[in-house]
Amino acid sequence: MSENIRTVKNATCTFCGCLCDDMELTVDLDEHRITKAKNACVLGRAWYAEHVIEDRPAAMIDGKEVDFDEAVEEAAQVLVNAKFPIIYGLSDTTSEAQREAVAIADYIHGTIDTTTSVCHGPTGMAFQGVGESTMSLGEVKNRADMVIFWGGNPAVSHPRLFTRYAVTTKGMFIPNGKKDRTIVLVDVRKTASDPVANIQIKVKPGKDFELLWALRALVKGKSIDPSIEKITGVSLATLEDLVDRMKKCNYGVIFFGMGLTMTRGRHFNSGALMALGTDLNEFTHFVVKPARGHGNVTGADNVVSWQTGYPFGVNFNLGYPRFNPGEFTTVDTLSNRDADAAMFIASDPASNFPKPAIEHMKRIPVISLDPKQTITSSLAHVAFTTATYGINTTGTVYRMDDVPITLRKAYDSPFPSDEEILTAIKKRVRELMLSKYGTSGVRGEAKVASLTPL
Amino acid sequence: MSLTLSLHTLPDVPIEADVICTDKLNNVNEAALSALTIFHGKEQVMLGDFFKVQGKYDGEIRIEGDLSRIKHLGAGMSGGRIIISGNVGAHLGAGMSGGEIIVEGNAGDWIASEMIGGRVIVKGNAGHMVGGAYRGSPVGMQGGEIIIHGNARNETGNAMRHGLIVVGGNSEDFTGVSMLAGTIIVLGEMGIRSGAGMKRAPSFPCIRQKCFRHSPMLAPIILLMCESISHILKSTDYKLMMHS
Repeated sequence: MSENIRTVKNATCTFCGCLCDDMELTVDLDEHRITKAKNACVLGRAWYAEHVIEDRPAAMIDGKEVDFDEAVEEAAQVLVNAKFPIIYGLSDTTSEAQREAVAIADYIHGTIDTTTSVCHGPTGMAFQGVGESTMSLGEVKNRADMVIFWGGNPAVSHPRLFTRYAVTTKGMFIPNGKKDRTIVLVDVRKTASDPVANIQIKVKPGKDFELLWALRALVKGKSIDPSIEKITGVSLATLEDLVDRMKKCNYGVIFFGMGLTMTRGRHFNSGALMALGTDLNEFTHFVVKPARGHGNVTGADNVVSWQTGYPFGVNFNLGYPRFNPGEFTTVDTLSNRDADAAMFIASDPASNFPKPAIEHMKRIPVISLDPKQTITSSLAHVAFTTATYGINTTGTVYRMDDVPITLRKAYDSPFPSDEEILTAIKKRVRELMLSKYGTSGVRGEAKVASLTPL
Repeated sequence: MSLTLSLHTLPDVPIEADVICTDKLNNVNEAALSALTIFHGKEQVMLGDFFKVQGKYDGEIRIEGDLSRIKHLGAGMSGGRIIISGNVGAHLGAGMSGGEIIVEGNAGDWIASEMIGGRVIVKGNAGHMVGGAYRGSPVGMQGGEIIIHGNARNETGNAMRHGLIVVGGNSEDFTGVSMLAGTIIVLGEMGIRSGAGMKRAPSFPCIRQKCFRHSPMLAPIILLMCESISHILKSTDYKLMMHS
């Protein structure tokens, strides 16, 4: 270990949606390593410990090292010349970079989508139909006396959610921590989160919607047939007890995960849960919040919504934003062979997308921005190596409760940040679009108008 | 002679051709028709780049070729007739208020979504969201008839307010979800959670005719009946009947 040690206080861990901002990092500046991450959970420690500056070229075209400018030029050419370019990813980068990506999608009249579409996308769709009752995690810490986790396993996915905000932590009106809280866990199987729960409810797989609908009826005072146990695996007495507790609590919170959003029924499942929250507000204060996974996936929703009006799956082909999940979401644009060029930012769809989508990725030019070598970057036509957000770059990220947090960097990286690369591509894309189509912005109109005496 | 459009070049990426709509083609000659703009992905191109145009619109448009990547055909039309000889892509007849679209092959997703009136007949299968509401929109189909001879997929008649949907084959999950009024007839099997969140269920039921499952010969007859009934209803004061 060298002598050149630096300590970074109050750094933010960008691994999961909790974005814990109380990290104390010990950084070995000679070795370019974080040697200790005080306060970090098991995921955070791994995130920091495994981060090294890799010996990779900053930019590659077809696997060969090239100048940064050459790679930017090639990326811009690919995006401008494509007829249906798509941009996807964005959940593991700063909101400043996300903003540049939306600008590029707008300039090239392409399609922009985030990893939300394969995780909490159905939640975004349900918001539109049902609405969202929301809160900050600080409110949960200080007020929530009933916390329900539905279809998620925070002990593994968000380890500090329990200790920092939702279960054991003591708050202003929750002086005794866990003793003052009722913790309910709804899942289809035994999970590592089970030990924290006062009430565990095991629902039959794929029956969440039916269970939620029954709960809604009970909250409204309607009678439910005891056969509900046969359908959902949960007895009527348990449901009645749960509803009674929910109505009597002072401040209830429901966190839900992909057990709800990515099982059969999708947006109707999350919509049913949010509708239950709305119903409960007749009796007490209840909020429903998706427990978001990636560090800045909430920021991706926020930035794309703020810039285009829609959270994900936004298409600019006609020059204005249109939202249609199922048509403009990336799994669909790839599986249907619609896309003819793709830029993947800070995500690795080639490792987890359906097979037809990955097959199509191999047929079209792909631009990849990633700090590490991934399956996506290996098949990419243009691959950029980037600095890691939160460790090598500053910027803004959004916690799962939509609270923006500023990052502190631990040490410098030789690689450019996503924001720098995307800004360079945006600048070049703009120049190319102007030279190709003129200042009118409406492509091909002049050509058509001269031929059309309508 | 009616207007015939034949696809001569398969598109690389989806085409959006809401210009192929009865209301927009009155008194337009062949040359001007060929020069109409459609979107090939983000590029504006001319109709003639992909379609061979023959004849003049006289109330009927015939479209030939594999149109499975052509979207928004007949969207927003208010009268006349479109006959599609093969398969067709998404958003067929979306938001239409009148007229008739007949598809000989299969249709894509979102056909006749948020339609107000008119008729769509699909001889093959249809995709998801038949007559449904677009995401973020509270109201789906508000009138008219959709008759699918084959199968339909998820969320058929999502948030429907009026009108008739008949599916000759099976439909999948969430048939008639959040519907307020109107009629959906499925002659085959339905998926799970049919009619979830629907209102006024007693007066406008989602009908499941189990008996037709075992006698597939009956299905075409029922479909023909539905088509002719809808013709008769059309000629009488159909709207009034739907309201009563």
